[in-house]
Amino acid sequence: MEQTNTDLMLIERILSGQTDQYSLLVKRHQRFVFTLALRFAKNREDAEEIAQDCFVKAYKALGTFKQTSKFSTWLYTITYTTAMTFLRKKRLDTLSISDDETFIQLENHTSGFMANSYEKKDSYKFLNEAITQLSIDDAAVITLFYQGEQSLEEIGATLGMAPNTIKVKLHRARQRLKEKLQYLLKDEVKELL
Amino acid sequence: MNTIEQQLWDYIDGNLDAAQQKIIQEKINNDVEVNLLYEELLSLNLSFSTLDLEEPSMSFTRNIMESIALEPAPVALKTKVNINIVYGIAGCFVAALLALVGYVLYHSNLQFSSFDTKVNLNIDWNELISPFTIYGFLFVDLVIGLVFLDYLLRKKAAHK
Repeated sequence: MEQTNTDLMLIERILSGQTDQYSLLVKRHQRFVFTLALRFAKNREDAEEIAQDCFVKAYKALGTFKQTSKFSTWLYTITYTTAMTFLRKKRLDTLSISDDETFIQLENHTSGFMANSYEKKDSYKFLNEAITQLSIDDAAVITLFYQGEQSLEEIGATLGMAPNTIKVKLHRARQRLKEKLQYLLKDEVKELL
Repeated sequence: MNTIEQQLWDYIDGNLDAAQQKIIQEKINNDVEVNLLYEELLSLNLSFSTLDLEEPSMSFTRNIMESIALEPAPVALKTKVNINIVYGIAGCFVAALLALVGYVLYHSNLQFSSFDTKVNLNIDWNELISPFTIYGFLFVDLVIGLVFLDYLLRKKAAHK
């Protein structure tokens, strides 16, 4: 709640002319916006471009921000639409893991992984990799729910879907993520968890 | 689709009411397979929750501040709408109505003597509806239409 109040206070100051205060808002939200952008873009350069574009758009439209919702929810909506526009422009291939080519990449990766001794500290790396293998919507829902700590209603507002649809999508995304983790880590998935 | 796995996720997320929670709790306690699945999902949930956020480059904030430096400072939408304009338009309408009523009363043959309830509104409509008044009326309509169009376009531009 304090975070929300502080966001709103910063916005008030920016709208009253203290535009340099925007850097504080950027610093506060940049990590999550960048992470969310990375779920769509799949590489850091594109993700950074999306995230920067998102913050510039948010600045330009700050006057239209209705303070009835959280600033973060509004910002994530901009991130989502910016990323979608970016992907449309770049015409990125958004095939899921079921694609044959992706399977080959994963297989190679898994063999390499099996050759090395597994360490617990690598769990985040594999989890992140499994998330990147999900479809864009699944990865976005997982990221918003767990890393963005958004409620089903807030995710629904961000992605333009009903909370019940998000609930079903979240369930399916978790199932697929579990399957991908099991595929990536084979028997050692239990050890990871 | 309401499998035991989905029910367990709902239980973990806290989306169930007290009665449903009790049913799932009993299943977890009494069924070994459900218990194993619950433990697995609980561990998965914990792993998902502890995922770290990615860090953008060091120059990220600076790049954004440089990009917005040339942009006009954002202004709250409510301050963009000048309330004096609204009052001005309302005033014009009220003045036009009063003028019309005054004109009608001036040209009517209204008798108040002996409290005669018969009102003789002897109005020369041909004189009232002249080309000048029609053009004036159309001009006001045009202005209102342009103001409304401007409002719609601004709203559309703000949503982009």
